[in-house]
Amino acid sequence: MFIGISAYNHESAIALVDESGTLINYYREESLSRIKGDKSFPKRGLKRIIKLHELENDSINSVIFYERPLSSFLFPLKEATKYLPESMNLMVHQIRNFNKSSLSCYIDLAKYCPGLEKKLIYTDHHLSHTLTSIAYSNKQENLCSIVVDGFGDRSTSSISYVKDKYNIKELWSSNYPASLGLFYSTITDFLGFSINEGEYKVMGLSAFGKSESKEAKLITRLIRWDKCKNEIIMDLTYFSFHKSITNSYNHKLKDLLGEPRNPFAKLQPGDKYFQRYANIARGAQDITNEILSEIFKFAYQITKSNHFLFSGGVALNSSSIEYLANLEFVKSIIIPPSPGDSGAAIGASYFGYLKSNLKNKSIDKPKLYPSEYSCIEQRDHIKKILDTKFRVVTNKEDESIDLACKLISQGEVIGVIISNGETGPRALGNRSLICNGSNKHSVNVLNTLIKSRSPFRPTAPAMRKHIAEKYFQLNPAIMDSYNSMNATCRSKKDSISITYPITHIDGTARLQIVQDNTILWNILERLENMGIEILANSSLNISGDPTCFDIIDGLMVCSIAPLNYLLTDLGMIKKR
Amino acid sequence: MSASEILEILHETIYAEHGSALEMLAACKQTKSTSLAYGYFEHAKDEYNHTKTFKEILSNKSYNCYVDIVRKFRITPIGLITKGYVSRKGYLIETMNLKDFIAYVYTNELLAETSFAKIKKLLGPNNKDSNRISNIMDDELRHHGMAKEYFLKYYPELQPWQLLYYKTKETIKNKTRKLYHKNIIFLEKIFFPLYSLLTLISSRLLIILNLTEYKRTDCNLMDINARSIL
Repeated sequence: MFIGISAYNHESAIALVDESGTLINYYREESLSRIKGDKSFPKRGLKRIIKLHELENDSINSVIFYERPLSSFLFPLKEATKYLPESMNLMVHQIRNFNKSSLSCYIDLAKYCPGLEKKLIYTDHHLSHTLTSIAYSNKQENLCSIVVDGFGDRSTSSISYVKDKYNIKELWSSNYPASLGLFYSTITDFLGFSINEGEYKVMGLSAFGKSESKEAKLITRLIRWDKCKNEIIMDLTYFSFHKSITNSYNHKLKDLLGEPRNPFAKLQPGDKYFQRYANIARGAQDITNEILSEIFKFAYQITKSNHFLFSGGVALNSSSIEYLANLEFVKSIIIPPSPGDSGAAIGASYFGYLKSNLKNKSIDKPKLYPSEYSCIEQRDHIKKILDTKFRVVTNKEDESIDLACKLISQGEVIGVIISNGETGPRALGNRSLICNGSNKHSVNVLNTLIKSRSPFRPTAPAMRKHIAEKYFQLNPAIMDSYNSMNATCRSKKDSISITYPITHIDGTARLQIVQDNTILWNILERLENMGIEILANSSLNISGDPTCFDIIDGLMVCSIAPLNYLLTDLGMIKKR
Repeated sequence: MSASEILEILHETIYAEHGSALEMLAACKQTKSTSLAYGYFEHAKDEYNHTKTFKEILSNKSYNCYVDIVRKFRITPIGLITKGYVSRKGYLIETMNLKDFIAYVYTNELLAETSFAKIKKLLGPNNKDSNRISNIMDDELRHHGMAKEYFLKYYPELQPWQLLYYKTKETIKNKTRKLYHKNIIFLEKIFFPLYSLLTLISSRLLIILNLTEYKRTDCNLMDINARSIL
């Protein structure tokens, strides 16, 4: 068994790969701790994996940490030395908190699982991302891997040529602090959203902006791609993230773009400053698309491969994926369901597997729902909660699905907690809130009343493949991405789907093509006979919380939000 | 008290309430008794609602303020850990025995009610927010009553004076925590020059260190030593 760990920088996670190269379990720590973005050592995930699989130290071949701790500690620190004394607070903070950085992985592992620390090995941050992508790719040879994130353990973007899974050569990298990810995070901060949390809001907001606006054009001063040197050039005079703990931007950016947005002010289309902020978001999205396409062009030039793997936090920008897939030389782009740091735990565990002495090693494509769980395990535990506050309408699977369909057709929003959880961050049906995707009222209830989301953010649709082909312009280069909501696509011209509430203002939707024999597939198969072809699908949670993991989390959402029904392994549950 | 100080108190209260909600949710999942699970579930629900209420109050008081002031009052869930509202070691139910945990709930709900009374006073009488806080105070008293009832039912050998003992212990702990926090801030000020000196020395070393020697360009990444942390 091989345990991969990612932690300390972004959401932490743990992955378990067996000796046949199959991902058999995976947990994001936030799912278990219920703290969104939890980046602490994944102690709960480790404990659960050890308990469920009855692991002992002898049965674990190696534990693999997803990055080189000293590199990730030293590179930003060395950069900060250039800005002393201005960067003094940042440096003092980093040095004093070294025990909360990747450097403490060894100590934490020894603390929570004594003896296992002796089996700890390390891999490069971007290699972990690449191996995660390889795992999800049907083709595992002659690929070009592109990783773009905020900061790895030595670079912020890289291009590698994957000859095969044992031969991955890095050909280009962009050094810290020139970072497309950190640029996008800074704009996120400027627009009043939290870094590492609000980037997708910027993406949603950008659809309302105008590329030809003054604000959007000003953004091009901040970052660009140098075509002669083939590198990302960032004008650091506008930024502070490399020398300050508290500020990602400085007064110069304020002088350029005007007053930053108050994080507590409402942001609604039609408001006084809405268009200005939307234009800034548009500018950030445009330059992101442009730089990514230049990286892809350069990658094609140096690897001669037109099959791409794309990962790192920036690969979560689903709007860019559609843009990249339209580049003429691109034949395919594979993006793992969790392309950020939490997904890198999967790549790390495969690193250990590939480095082991086992024979005939092959990587099985991981399932979309690897987080092992069943509501059955908590059935007795929640008896009093169910008896007092809820009612099991039916405990038969077939009847529950029929009832769900009937309720959806009547405009109801349904919560779903079925079987294993997703890799995240997108809910693909097993931990979802679903309703009729063509019913404006239902989508509005889901979006605004249950989830308290800003009105400018779209809700993603889920449908079966033939329906997606009917309404949307699918790009064959990114077909796999549609299974995990990784890419947006456009509604067909004159299609009725443009008027559906699941379609964004710019005519795009981040659709999910549901896989056969999943819960959403079963529901949609029946709903299509009732005239409903598209579901709105959003993660089951309340604002500020991670996606639900177990039935207690789901019941809690029902209790505090206007959600009446929960479809579970125990049947259909109704709030009293 | 300045507007910024009031925002600071509301900001901290949100974390405290969210932290309590998560503590109760964890207790609901960990306890072996289905009755206790129900009790903790209901308690967690109330704490979630309190968090929501305080978030709304903070939001209403912040949206007209200067951006540079209110930016620091953004709520990021990870702050629950960095600010210490949820221990890095785990939830209380994971680290305490059940008896101590119930005693903790019993005393802290009462202390929370007292601190909400202070917040209510700060926000001024006869306004909408003040009424909402009154409702929260009622909830806290109810939680306190339930914990007390449970405590006496399952640990009847404990006398009211022993509950008073728990309460006093927790009060002292809270005061010590505050004192420790204040001292830490004070000590940080004293030690900052020392930290700065250490940082300056390290920065000299970092400047000498040539990290480009460890570049990966043209390397097979799979061949790099898996034991190396650099």
